[in-house]
Formats: sequence, structure tokens, C-alpha cells
Amino acid sequence: MLENIALIKEVHELLGREKAEALANEYLQKIGLSHIGLYRLNQCSDVEIFYVMFIRALMSKATDVIITTPFSLISNLRDIEPIIATLKLLGSEKNIFILDSVINELHYKEKSCHIVK
Amino acid sequence: MLIKLIESVGEKTIHAFSSVYEALRFTSICLTHMLNPLSYNPAMRMVLTKQIYFTAVGILPLFVMMAFLFGSVIIGVVIVLATEYNLQEQIGSIIITFVIDEFSPFFTALLIALRSGTAINTEIAVMNVNKELNTLREYKIDLIDYLFLPRIISGIISVTSLSILFAIIMLNSGYIFTLFYMNMDLHTYKYLLINAIEVKDLAILLLKSIAFGFVTMLIPIYSGLKTENAYTAIPISVLNGMVKLFVALFFIEVLSLLIQSL
Repeated sequence: MLENIALIKEVHELLGREKAEALANEYLQKIGLSHIGLYRLNQCSDVEIFYVMFIRALMSKATDVIITTPFSLISNLRDIEPIIATLKLLGSEKNIFILDSVINELHYKEKSCHIVK
Repeated sequence: MLIKLIESVGEKTIHAFSSVYEALRFTSICLTHMLNPLSYNPAMRMVLTKQIYFTAVGILPLFVMMAFLFGSVIIGVVIVLATEYNLQEQIGSIIITFVIDEFSPFFTALLIALRSGTAINTEIAVMNVNKELNTLREYKIDLIDYLFLPRIISGIISVTSLSILFAIIMLNSGYIFTLFYMNMDLHTYKYLLINAIEVKDLAILLLKSIAFGFVTMLIPIYSGLKTENAYTAIPISVLNGMVKLFVALFFIEVLSLLIQSL
């Protein structure tokens, strides 16, 4: 997973492998997932893969991060709030958007994120 | 009836030409990237190191054993035939031409094609079907720089270095046969080979190895990239890739023989 996250910085900012992986590890540590650093895809749960994908997106230069249909990305996800709370721990200044279908609207009502239709 | 036949032949010809054009275009793009220093970013260098390890180092035990076995047996056969036809004077140049110019690069390329070519064809095909290549494109990661170039360069380095190793082991193990069959001492054997070897032989070994290494990786990559969007298409892609690769290896071999005979 570390390699996966570090790749973006290595390619776009020509950051050395050690530095890029240290940065990736720093992000994983913030959300208590440093233990998955050396795991391969099949060793990680859906939630772990989701967080890795999110951190990887943070590594890019794009100012916006769009999460599409988190309830289908993470199996058995019932509440979005713990996910949002974990993402906040990463302390990113990027704009984070969640794109979902109207069917899942209930999942977002009275939560800490704004709903824009 | 005749029009349909002509149409079908025309369609197939156009398809064949466009496939060749596309393959050549892909080859030229890869070569351009290979010459561009910006392609060698830290991530690419990491993949390159791993690929060299998987392709050249992982195969070493099997490779050394095969080189030793083939070396003693094949050089033995060559010596027996040379003796039968009263060509003892030319034994040195026969061994050098056979081992360095022909057998080592071709056998190494075949072994690497079977072991790494198939693996790379499958890997790229699976990545293509799983849309992993699309994810990399989304992150604006150049597929040629990150995925293809390290594999192609590792192919060139691996086939070249293993061909040299194969030739060295083969020539050394050949001594065992000459010792028992011809009662030849090491000094005479060495003298025979050193007298027979020319710069031309080393140049052929290097050029052929580079060409073999290049196609051994390029064709499986291209074949994997052309896989249709289904898991059932993966074995077909590997099958097609391997057939094309073997045709290309034989083509290079024949071409080199033709050039040498001029």
C-alpha cells in the first residue's frame, strides 16, 4: 500500500522513494493504519482500501477530491459519519465531495456534511 | 461472389497493415521514451530494479544448471561431429560460432520468453481487464514510463547479461567433454577458444541479445495492452502474444544469419 500511495509523489514531484513512502506512512499513521503499509491489495479490507485510495488522491495536485458512491465502495457501511471523522484526521485542505445517488440520501441527513442536490 | 472475396482479402490486408503500423508506432513511442531522461523517475527506477531481479536473478539457479548440462552435451556433440568430418583444426571457431553467435542468445531469449514474457503478458492483460491501467491514466501516470519501459529495459539487460553468462558457462562446461573425449588439457582448450574468438562474435552476441531482449518484453506488453475487456480474453491474449513473440525471435535469428552470410 505504501508503494501505491507513494507512486503519485514519485512520478509527479520526482520525490525519492524513501521520502515518498515516509510521507505515505505519515498519512496512514494519522488514521491508525500504519500496519497495512506493507500489505498487498488482497490482504486489506474494503475500508482500508478506501482510505488508501483517499490518501492517494490527497497526494495528487488536484484541489478537489471526489468520492463516488462510498456505500458501494465499502461493503456493509451503514454510517458515513465515522468515515468523515477519519478523513478529517488526515487534515487535508483539499475540497472533499461525496457523489452519491438520491437513493442513499438518508445516509447523509443530519450528518456533518452538507448536502447539495 | 468474386467481389465478396476481393472485399474480404482487402479487408484482411488493411487489417494486417494497420496492425503492423500500430505495433511499429508503439515500438517507436517506447524507443523515444527510452531516450528521454525524464522517463527515468524514482518510481520507474524502482520498478526497473525489481524487474531485473525477477527476470535475471530469479532464474539463475535453473539457468546455470541448464547452461552447464547443455554446455557439456552440445559441445560434446559438436566436437564428435567435427572429429568425424576431420574438422579438428576448426573446432575452436566452430565452438565459438555455435555457442557465442547462435546458441547462447537464442536459448536465453527462449527461456526468458517462456518465463518472463508469459508473466508480463498476463500481468498487463489482467491490469487492463481490471481497469488498473485506467486508474494510472487518471492519475496522469505515464504507462510507458512506469510500466512498459522498466520491463523492456530489464529484458534487454537480462537477456544480454544472461547470454554472456550462458556462453561463459557453456564454454567452461564444454571443457569437461574435451577433457574426457579428446584428452585435451585446459591450456590447449583455452588457446583454441582464444585464437578463434573475434570482436565480430562479441558484437553479434551483444546486438542479438539486445534485439531479443527488446522483443521478448515489447511483444507480450503490446499483446497484454490489446486484451479485450473480459477475463476470458486473457488466455487468448497470452497465446497470441507468445506466438507473435516466437515468430519475432525466429525472424531475428534468421535475419542475423542472413546478415552474417553476406
